[in-house]
Parts: sequence; structure tokens; C-alpha cells
Amino acid sequence: MKVSLFEQVPYRFLPEGFERLHSSVVTAPYQLVEPGRMTESLVSAYAELLHGARAGFDGICVTEHSQSSYDISPNPTLLASAVACAAQAEGLDVAITVLGRSLGKTREPLKIAEEYALLDCISGGRLIAGFPVGLSYDANLNASLPAVETRERYREHRELILKAWSEPRPFPWNGRFEKYGQVNIWPRPIQQPHPPIWIPGIGSPGTLRDILQRDYSFVYLSWDGPKLTGRQVFDRYWELAEEMGRDRNPYRLGFVQVVAVSETDERAEKEFAKHLQAHYWSGPGAIPRTAMAVPGYAEPAAIEGMLRSAGHGGMLARLRTATYRELVDSQVAIVGSPATVADQIEAFVREFRIGNLMVMLQNGSMPRDLTEKSISLFGEEVLPRLRPIWDEEGWTNQWWPRAQGTTGAVTGAAAGRQA
Amino acid sequence: MTTGSADVRDETVEVWDSRLRLHVKIAGDGPPLLYFHPLMGLSWSPWLDQLAQRYTVYAPEHPGTSPGDPQAIREVQTFWELLLVYEEAIRKLGLERPAAIGQSFGGMVAADLAASFPRVFSRLVLLSPAGLWRDDAPIPLMEMVAGPPEELPTYVFAHPESEAARAALALPADPEQIPKAIAQTIWNTGCTTKFAWPIADHGLDRRLHRIQVPTLIVWGREDALVPVAYAKEFGSRIAGSQVEVIDDCGHAVPVDQPERSWTAISGFLAG
Repeated sequence: MKVSLFEQVPYRFLPEGFERLHSSVVTAPYQLVEPGRMTESLVSAYAELLHGARAGFDGICVTEHSQSSYDISPNPTLLASAVACAAQAEGLDVAITVLGRSLGKTREPLKIAEEYALLDCISGGRLIAGFPVGLSYDANLNASLPAVETRERYREHRELILKAWSEPRPFPWNGRFEKYGQVNIWPRPIQQPHPPIWIPGIGSPGTLRDILQRDYSFVYLSWDGPKLTGRQVFDRYWELAEEMGRDRNPYRLGFVQVVAVSETDERAEKEFAKHLQAHYWSGPGAIPRTAMAVPGYAEPAAIEGMLRSAGHGGMLARLRTATYRELVDSQVAIVGSPATVADQIEAFVREFRIGNLMVMLQNGSMPRDLTEKSISLFGEEVLPRLRPIWDEEGWTNQWWPRAQGTTGAVTGAAAGRQA
Repeated sequence: MTTGSADVRDETVEVWDSRLRLHVKIAGDGPPLLYFHPLMGLSWSPWLDQLAQRYTVYAPEHPGTSPGDPQAIREVQTFWELLLVYEEAIRKLGLERPAAIGQSFGGMVAADLAASFPRVFSRLVLLSPAGLWRDDAPIPLMEMVAGPPEELPTYVFAHPESEAARAALALPADPEQIPKAIAQTIWNTGCTTKFAWPIADHGLDRRLHRIQVPTLIVWGREDALVPVAYAKEFGSRIAGSQVEVIDDCGHAVPVDQPERSWTAISGFLAG
């Protein structure tokens, strides 16, 4: 299987009790920030991602959120670009996954087409293009776009980007939201007609059907871990796949999991408990529930379903106060020695047929040295156990970059490993 | 959501090249009177019954807000298209220069219809309408719509705890029906805010001068959603209009001050 290091970019120095006074999104007060510590928060994320590439992860992942204290990544292609250049220079063969620019939020979809294309070029064809809709607070409050149009924008923007990447000659675009006289972007992706496309989502049937129909790969993005809500989403996905005549190739499915590794279980708890709690309390736990579904974002039937199932399954409503023990027992976070972590991950990966795993090893206030230790331990002792999981079934991973040429182009260093 | 008196009937009007079946609630006897509902959808409240004793009240439901037809909102792409849909519906209903009342979001719709089609109405009543913007009097639409539901009444009513305010936001008695009712109200808000997001300003300030019919503007002095400062903005732009500011009254004028608003509205319409 493929294992990538996923980082959100939190401000790591939020005051204790932040979540009792503030929202982590839209209105999070910037006066709390010390400039030097902002630099440290941002640069650490970059350094840790590069550390992950050196530690043997198959890919690095970043994503986009604006006006947020838990993910200061208003444009993830900036961070991805820095990592891609450094990886090139060091001859590291690592996929660059932007998971991604939000297509339902953007007012400039062609910028996304251009930025992704540029990333694919500088990485030698190692881009994985994430096409998320965007969270409601980001699309409808931060970007202030009418909620009821979010998915219509998403569909038009995705179509435009795909055409801009592959159409040989300049073309006009007369869309509902975008109008252009001559679309002719430079550069275009090395991977033609497009890089592998991963669609992150929370698993609504409409989204899953769209993904399977277009033969993209689904990434279940959740703060709930595999145990609480995983089964219903993964079972639904594989049932739909069967119904639609798609095979059971595990690389059709990705999942993001919070993980922390130390030498022993006891030590892991001692080192990570307070940082993980702080992460859930002040990050996802401090997103107002209403900000996740501004009126119009979800259809009436979906809203009714959410209201009827409120309090069942997911952890979101409780994240603001969840204890370390609750987080770990529910597998919202998987924490412990390399053996503990590998056992738990292997079990759910096999059970749900997950081919693309993304692990979040930095969370909340976790400092860089501790994060890098966790990354190293994961790379040395957990990754080798996970990587061969699907080998015996012999699937082709058509959702992985088709890298061309060698790495090391920036410095002329020796060729790196091929994908 | 639409609750209702026994005498309210539902008529559908096919408009917009047959792409839309607009639902119109109709009640009463007498000269025609159009009513354009606020942000959260049409709720047939007691003061509409009062109007129906003197007028035939026609209350169209904003596209997408009629139960069972949520996707209708997709057929109307812009605010200009919404105005065209209503102008067509008025003709198809066979209404000759009806009087019109628009409330809040519906006030913006009614005002722009009157400005865009100066001969469509005979008289116009605007109850704390949206549609203008002043930097020194921001309208906290986003804060209300995306904020905690328990804070919503504080934007709408001067006395959120009053019996009338509670009745206006009452949920169905049957607990099984509550999620459906809430979902409908949320969706309704999504359908109206499509044309009011994040700021309900389509340049109406540059068109209001085109309104040529007698116009009454009614505002609650304690309006916490669209501040009373906008009363004079509308008043000064519509020649010959009357402005009535009601004390101890919030955004939902007929709920907060039923008698005083009835006196003002009925007197103006009869005049």
C-alpha cells in the first residue's frame, strides 16, 4: 500500500482555554498570534514534511483552509511547491499530494489548473491532484459564496481544469460562473491527460457515485478515525463499487488517520496526550457546528438525516472536551509504540480495503522535535509492516503518479528511486 | 414552512418556459394583494388572515422553498431572473396592478420589482426591507444565518421571549416531524440567501428612484438585523413615500407590534 505523511498547519502556541472563548475558524482572533511563533509554526510544517520524505514516506499531503487557526494553509500549493523543490534537490522520490485546492470555494479555478500543473512539472510528474469541494465555512463564510451554489461551482471548475490541462489548442469557456476568451495555460501537467485525481469527502452517496463513475480515488476525510463512522462509509463505497461494476482495487480508497508513535505505549501517552487533547479541543472541536453546513450547503434530505442521526456515531460534537483516553479508545487517534500503532492500522486497513493511507503525525501544539521523532519511528518501524499489505493481491495502482525522468533535476544530483 | 388557516389554498403557476411551477398560497376576498415572504420562507401568520378579510392575498413561495420541490432553486440563477419569474407569475395569475407587501428579503424583491417594472403594482408596502448597504450600519445576515440557532430570535424580535415570537418560530408538536420542519427552514434560508449572500445589495439604491407608486416604509426602531437607519435610505430615494418607524419593535414588525403595524398598513392600503 501507499503511505503518505499528511500535515495540517496549526498555530502551535494557542493559549490554554482558547476553545472556551473562541472559534478556530472564520473569526479566530489574530491578536493572539506572536509573529515569530507564526514563522516557527509554518516553517516547522515544511521541515517535518521534508523529514517525512527523507524517512521513506511514499508521499506528502497538504490541504487548504482559510481564516483558520488549526490549518494556516490558505494556499497549499505554496507549501507543496517548497517541499517538491527540496525533494527534487535531494533526489527523493516522493508523491506531492495537494488534497487540495477547494474547487467549490475558488473564484479563480484556472489558477488551480496552473498551480497544479506547475507542481507536476517541478516534481517530475509526481503530483496527485486533490479535488475537494471545500468545507462550508471556508466556501460559504470565508469566501462568502452562496452555499446553494457550492457544488455547481465545483462541477464547473473541475470540468474547466481538466479541459485546460489536456486541450491542445486555446479554447473559449462560456460557463455559468466563469467566462474566458482563450484558455491556454502554461505549464501543463507532465502526466497527461491529468495527474491521478483523489476526491476527499465525508462519504455522501452522491459524491461516492460520482467518484466511481469517473474512476477517481476516494479519500475519506474525517476526524472520527476508522471505528466510529468508518464502517458505514467504507461499506457503502464498496457496495456502490460493486453495483457500478468497479473492481475491489484497494487503491480506489484512501483514509486519513491521526497517529503518534513513541518507543513505548506509556511513553507515547506521556509525550502526546496533552498535545492531542489541545489539537482536538482548540482545532476541530472549536469549529461551530453551524459553520460546517451553512444553509444551502446540504440538501433538505441530508439535513434531515443529520438531525435524526445527531449524537450517534461521530465524535465531532464532543471533540471540544474529549479526553485522551476517549480519543485513543475510539481510535480517533492511534497512539503508542510502533507495534501497537502498526497492529491497529493494519487491522482496519485490511478490513476496509484501504490502499492509500495518510497519517497525520503533527497535531496541535506538538513541537517539531517530538513530531520528527514520531515521523522517524513511523518510517523505520511501522511503514515496513504496512507497505506490503496488498502486494499478494497484485493490483495495479493507477491512482499513483506516473513519474517521468529522474529526481535531482534541481541540483543535477543522481537519479532517485522510480515510483 | 407553511402552516395554515383552513381557507388558504395552494395554486401553482407554470412559468419560466415551463421550468418552474411556482406555488402561490391564496386566501381571502377583495382586491388583489401580493405578499413576498422573508428569508426563512412563507409562514401563514395571523396578520395575513387579517389582510385576507379585506383583500385576496397572493403569497408566492420563493423557488425551492415549497416542500417536495427543493431543486426548483436551481432553475433561477440570478436575482434578475428571480424578478423576471415573479413578473411573469403576476401576469399569469391575471393580476392587474395589485398592491404589494414585501417583508425583509421579500421587501427587497418587492422594491426591485417596483423599480424594474414601474407599472406592475398599484401600491407598495415595505416592511424592514433588505437591499441596501451602509458601512456604518452593517446587516449581520451571515452572523444570523450561520450562527447558533438559539441566537436567531434575538436578531428577529424585540422580545424573543414573547408569546407571539415563540409562536412565530414554533416547531411541530409531533417530535417525529421536527427534523423535517427544521431541515425545510434551513433549506428555505439557503434558497433565499442565494440572492442575498453575503451582502444583499444588487444595486437597488441606483434603481429605487424608478418607483412611481405610493409607497409605505415600515420599520421597527429596535431592528437588530436591518438597522432602522435604512428606513430613511429607502424613504429618501422613493419620491413621495411615507416612513413609519414603530417603537419597541424589532425586525419582524407584524409579530412584535401587530396592532400598530396593522393600523399603519391597513390605513395606507385603504387610502
